[in-house]
Amino acid sequence: MESIIEVKSLTKRYKEKRAVDDLSFDVYKGEILGLLGPNGSGKSTTMNCILSLLNFDRGNIKIYGKEMTPNAYDIKRKIGVVFQDVAVFDELTVYDNIDYFCGLYITDKKMKKKYVDDAMKLVGIEEYKKYFPKQLSGGLLRRLNIACGIAHKPEIIFLDEPTVAVDPQSRNNILEGIETLRKNGATIVYTTHYMEEVEILCDRVIILDKGKIIASGTTDELKELAKTKEKIRVETKELGNKEIHEIKKLSCVEEVLYKDNILEVMYTDENNNLENIIGYLKSNNIKYSRIFSERPTLNDVFLELTGKELRD
Amino acid sequence: MLNVVDIAVIQNEELDNNNSFKQAMDYLSNEKNSNRLFSTRYVSEEEASALLEKGEISGYVKLTAENPKIVVDKNGVDQTIIKYAVEEIYQSQDSYEELYKNIESIFNKEDGQSFFDRIKSLVIMLTKNNINIKDTSKSNLSYTMIEYYTLIAMTCMYGGIIGAVAISWILANMTNIGKRTSVSPSSKLTMILSSCMASYVVQIIGIAILFAFTIFGLKVDYGDKLPQIILLSSIGCLAGLSLGLAVSTTVKSGEGAKVGIILAITMTGSFLSGMMGVTMKYIIDKNAPIINKLNPVNMITDGFYSLYYYDTLDRFNFNVASLAIFSVIMLVISVMTLRRQKYDNI
Ligand SMILES: Nc1ncnc2c1ncn2[C@@H]1O[C@H](COP(=O)(O)OP(=O)(O)OP(=O)(O)O)[C@@H](O)[C@H]1O
Ligand SMILES: [Mg+2]
Repeated sequence: MESIIEVKSLTKRYKEKRAVDDLSFDVYKGEILGLLGPNGSGKSTTMNCILSLLNFDRGNIKIYGKEMTPNAYDIKRKIGVVFQDVAVFDELTVYDNIDYFCGLYITDKKMKKKYVDDAMKLVGIEEYKKYFPKQLSGGLLRRLNIACGIAHKPEIIFLDEPTVAVDPQSRNNILEGIETLRKNGATIVYTTHYMEEVEILCDRVIILDKGKIIASGTTDELKELAKTKEKIRVETKELGNKEIHEIKKLSCVEEVLYKDNILEVMYTDENNNLENIIGYLKSNNIKYSRIFSERPTLNDVFLELTGKELRD
Repeated sequence: MLNVVDIAVIQNEELDNNNSFKQAMDYLSNEKNSNRLFSTRYVSEEEASALLEKGEISGYVKLTAENPKIVVDKNGVDQTIIKYAVEEIYQSQDSYEELYKNIESIFNKEDGQSFFDRIKSLVIMLTKNNINIKDTSKSNLSYTMIEYYTLIAMTCMYGGIIGAVAISWILANMTNIGKRTSVSPSSKLTMILSSCMASYVVQIIGIAILFAFTIFGLKVDYGDKLPQIILLSSIGCLAGLSLGLAVSTTVKSGEGAKVGIILAITMTGSFLSGMMGVTMKYIIDKNAPIINKLNPVNMITDGFYSLYYYDTLDRFNFNVASLAIFSVIMLVISVMTLRRQKYDNI
């Protein structure tokens, strides 16, 4: 796979605090790479270092095989950035904002007009084209912010938590838009602390904590890291200590919890667990109302690796 | 020992008829006078201009039926002193007796005052007596006029603040839009020039209001020098503005600090160029001329002064050119810095 961005031993300190600590990773052509981490884990700092906005203490960053510097205009031309904070002109309409920022990259008037229209369509704000930012809801404003960053059809796109504090409708819209961008050939670095988004969207995920990579891989690979491969929950009122003890002895069972009439069984393997537990309940004549099976989430992985929840 | 200025006075009928002038010159040129200001020779006009050519004198004075004609080779401190002294003596003949006594008393003090202190006393005395200093073109430059020019120069320089604020939209550490602009490939030169132009328009409007107010409100008469004054103010604005841009791009701290630095530079520059007392300007011009050659505020005030003290526009033009060069240098610094700017903190 072709590496488009190469980050090597990136270290960035704010005064004494290490915000990013010896980070190395590659971004491959055409993928959506998720940078997943809790607040303050160094996602934005990493992004701003890659973009040559921030000085860093150690490491080097190459994009398209060339060192990234503040005046690497040929590289910058191919990049689109959506920053965490909304950055638009309050004095300009939706259309004019996109037109302005697109104009920093695209000079051809006809092409620019088409690109601006495409960007509005992509995030679904055509109807609001004459609105001013102040008249938009939070979700729509975020969508405008995204449109401003990607209107010039960049090859590489950085998105820093584009869905923070948006309504579900806008969120779906945004995620679909990003999916479309990738289909059109863009390589995307997507920063978030929502693991669900990463699971839906990203081909590869890097999990950050305190400026360090604690795990990386596809979501499936990451889930492999979790000791618990399956979690089965059963609603039942009829369990005693004896039964719980017996369930613990079933094959591949890692842990059993029984609280508030809910039985939770954790498995270290994911084969036939549902069959086994149902078989046991039947043969012991234990009645149950509902039964669920869950695969581990990235949150579980994070919890196991760091001992804390991804979201606080 | 005082710095004695070599001058010549043309021997003619007017001089013979003007006893008080001769007396004053004699007094200021007396070798026995330890506070001697001039070394004066009385010669014909041809001789005088030959001496001037050879650089043996800094200037010569020819009394005419009207004003004295003062011819100097270049525009410097010595030449300014000649004009000051000669015109003052000549113009104030009515109050001459009094003035003579005053000058005498100042230059007679044996209290170890330095040359500059004496000149300072002289200037203070002249301004306190509310005597207008006149140049050969008969325009007035009164103390209050100096204050107006001070005001204009300050307004020009404060344009730096407008520039510093206006440029924040392209600086990544100042605004979110600045981050966007910084990651874009758009030319930093274009960005700087467009913010510069926008702020310049704002500033020119400010200056126009100031002129309108002083002319129509305060009834200030700028005389026939108004076009030059406007030219100098406009280019002064550009200098102030570009200084603001340069400070804003090179200093990576917040807006408050940037504005503070611009104010500090402006105030120091103003002080050194004599806004709180013309003496300071003379001290700097004499002892460390390089400082004021590089001081944009001085380029503006000196430009204004030169319009009144000198017959030719040479020195005025020099100041205008200096301001233009200063502005270009500041703009180049801004663009160069911005092109490779990275921040420790955004
Ligand atoms: N300008 C700054 N000065 C000092 N410390 C900073 C600065 N910006 C960030 N930090 C610190 O660096 C660490 C990483 O911050 P960063 O903004 O990169 O995290 P993040 O993962 O983007 O978090 P979030 O999800 O809140 O956006 C945090 O501990 C933060 O407190
Ligand atoms: Mg962040």
